[in-house]
Amino acid sequence: MLSDFGTLLLFILAAFAFIALVLFGARFLRPDRPNIEKNSTYESGEEPVGNANIQFNIRFYVVALVFVLFDVELVFLFPWATVFGQARLIEATGGRWGWFALTEVILFVVVLALGLAYVWAKGYLDWVKPQPKLPTVETKVPMDLYKQVNERFK
Amino acid sequence: MFPIVLLSVFAVVLLFLGFLKSRSVLLPATLLFLVAALVANFLDWNKTYLYFNSMLRTDNLSMVFTAIVLLSSFLVVALSGSFEDDEAAQPAEYYAIILFSLVGAIMMIGYENLVMLFVGVEILSVAMYILTGSDKRNLRSNEAALKYFLMGAFATGIMLFGMALLYGASGSFTLAGIASYASHAQQGLSLIFYVGLLMLLVGLLFKVSAAPFHFWTPDVYDGAPTIFTAYMSTVVKTAGFAALLHLLAASFTYVYSFWGIILAVVTAITLIAGNVTAVYQNSFKRMMAYSSISHAGYLLIGLAALSAQSRQAIVFYSLAYSIATISAFGVLMLVTRQRGMQTLSSNPLSNESFDAFNGLAKQNPLLGLAMATSMLSLAGIPLTAGFWGKFYMFSTAVERGQIWLLVVAVLMSAVGIYYYFRVIIAMYFRDGATEPIRISPVFRYVLVAAIILTIGLGVAPGLLQGLF
Repeated sequence: MLSDFGTLLLFILAAFAFIALVLFGARFLRPDRPNIEKNSTYESGEEPVGNANIQFNIRFYVVALVFVLFDVELVFLFPWATVFGQARLIEATGGRWGWFALTEVILFVVVLALGLAYVWAKGYLDWVKPQPKLPTVETKVPMDLYKQVNERFK
Repeated sequence: MFPIVLLSVFAVVLLFLGFLKSRSVLLPATLLFLVAALVANFLDWNKTYLYFNSMLRTDNLSMVFTAIVLLSSFLVVALSGSFEDDEAAQPAEYYAIILFSLVGAIMMIGYENLVMLFVGVEILSVAMYILTGSDKRNLRSNEAALKYFLMGAFATGIMLFGMALLYGASGSFTLAGIASYASHAQQGLSLIFYVGLLMLLVGLLFKVSAAPFHFWTPDVYDGAPTIFTAYMSTVVKTAGFAALLHLLAASFTYVYSFWGIILAVVTAITLIAGNVTAVYQNSFKRMMAYSSISHAGYLLIGLAALSAQSRQAIVFYSLAYSIATISAFGVLMLVTRQRGMQTLSSNPLSNESFDAFNGLAKQNPLLGLAMATSMLSLAGIPLTAGFWGKFYMFSTAVERGQIWLLVVAVLMSAVGIYYYFRVIIAMYFRDGATEPIRISPVFRYVLVAAIILTIGLGVAPGLLQGLF
C-alpha cells in the first residue's frame, strides 16, 4: 500500500519522466540547423550590452514591496468573499454573519491602508524624490568674483 | 491575548506619531503603551483560555513569561533615550518595530500550534534583522544584519522542515495532537518523527544561540547598536526558552529518553564554548555576547532535566539574567558615549574594551554599583538574583540525576567569575581618565530599579515563587 509520501515521490518521478520524455522527443523529431541568429540571447534581435549584474534603483524594491503587500491582500480577499457570501450562514444567524465578516475584512483592509498611507506620507511613492538640499557655503566673497576668476583662467 | 491586540494597535499608532515635529513624545508614549500591555496581560490571571480556534493559550506560566518580556523591553526602551544623539535615527520606527516584535515574542510564549510558533519566531526574527542593521551608515552594523539574516533564514528553513516532518509523522500541527501521537512511543514511532523533532530543536536552539549553533552571536551582538543588543539578548532569549519549554513539556515528554541526552550534551558544549571563549575577549560587548551564550547553557540545564521545578527555574533565571544584562548594557552605553566624546576616536572598538571601565567607580559611584551588581548577578554570587537562578537550575539537574552535567556547569561558573570580575577590578582598582558622566534621570531610575530588583530577588527569592 502506498503512503502519502509515496504518492508525492511518484509525482516527483512522473514530473522528471515527463520533462525527459518531452525534451528528448522534441530533440529527435525537430530538424537541427543552428545559426548565429538563433543562438543569440534574444531571438527578437535585441543585442545584449554590458553586465547583467548592475545596481537597480533602490525605489524599485520599495515599489515591489508595496505591490506584494497589496497583491497578498487581494489573494486573501477571495477566500473571504466565498465565506462572506454563504447564504446558509447568513440565514442561520439572521444576517449578523454578513456584518461580522464585513467588519473583519474592513479591519484587515484598514490596517493595510494605514501602511499605504504611511509609505505615501514618507514620500516613498514619489518616483522623483523632492529636491535634495544642495550644500551652501557661507562666504564673504561674492559669487561674481568667483565667476570673474573662472572667466579669466578659462 | 490582550497584549497581542494592544501592542499591534499601539505599534501602528507609534508609526504615525513619528510624523509629529517633536521626537520627545515618542519615548513616554512607548513606555505608556508597554505599561498598558503589561496591565492587560494580567486580566486573564488564574484562568486558562484558548484563543483563535486553539491557536493560542494563556495560562499563568505564559502570562509570567509575557510579563518578563514586557518588563525587559520597558527597561530597554527607557534606556534608549529617544535616540537623541543620533540625527539619522528613526525612533518612531524603532519603537514600532520593538512593539511588533513583542507581538511575535508573545506568540512564541503562548502558542498551541506549531504554525503559530513559526509565525511568532518569524515576526520576532525579522524585526531583529532590521534593528540589527538600523545603524545604516555603520559597516559593522550592516555586516551583522546580513550575517544574522542569512543564518537566521537558514535556521528558520530547517525549523520549518522539522515542523513539516512532525506533521507528516503525526498528522497534526497542534501540540496536543503531536503529544497523543508520541504517547504510542512503546509501539515504535516512525523515524520521520525523530528527525522532525531534531530539526525543530536545531531551529529553536539557533534562536537562543546555544552551541554548536552560536557562531552568529558574537558578530551580531557586537555589530548591532548597543541598545538593540540589550533587547536581543534578553527578549529573544526569554521568548525562545519559553517556546522550547512549552514545546518539550507539552508534546515530547513521552520521548524524553530520546532528546534528554541530546539536549544535555548540547548544554555541556554551550557552557564550555561560551564560558571559555568569553575569557579571551578584550571587548566588553563581545564578552557579553559570549556570556549570553553561556547563560543559554545554564537555561538549557533546566530544559535538559525537564522536571517539575524546571518552569520555575527557567522563569526565575530569565528574569534575573534579563535585568542584569540590561543594566550592564545601559552602563556600557553611557561609558561608550562618554569615551567617544572624549577621544573622538572613530574606532568604536576601543571604546568598548575592558579598559574603558578603568577607574569608573571613583567618579561615578552609581554606574559602578549598577555594573558591579549586574556582574555579580551574572556570575552567580550569593545575595544576588543570579545566585538563586543558578541554584534552581542546578537543583533541577540534581533531581534528574545528571551529576556529570552539574559538575560541568559548576566548573564553568567558576570560569565565569574570572571574566565578570575583570570588569569589577577595572572599575574599582584601576586608574583611568575619568570624569563624572552625566546621567539623565530616566537612566538613573532604570539603573536603581535594576539594582533593587537584583538584590531584592537575591535576598528574598520566594517573592516570585508565590506567583504561580
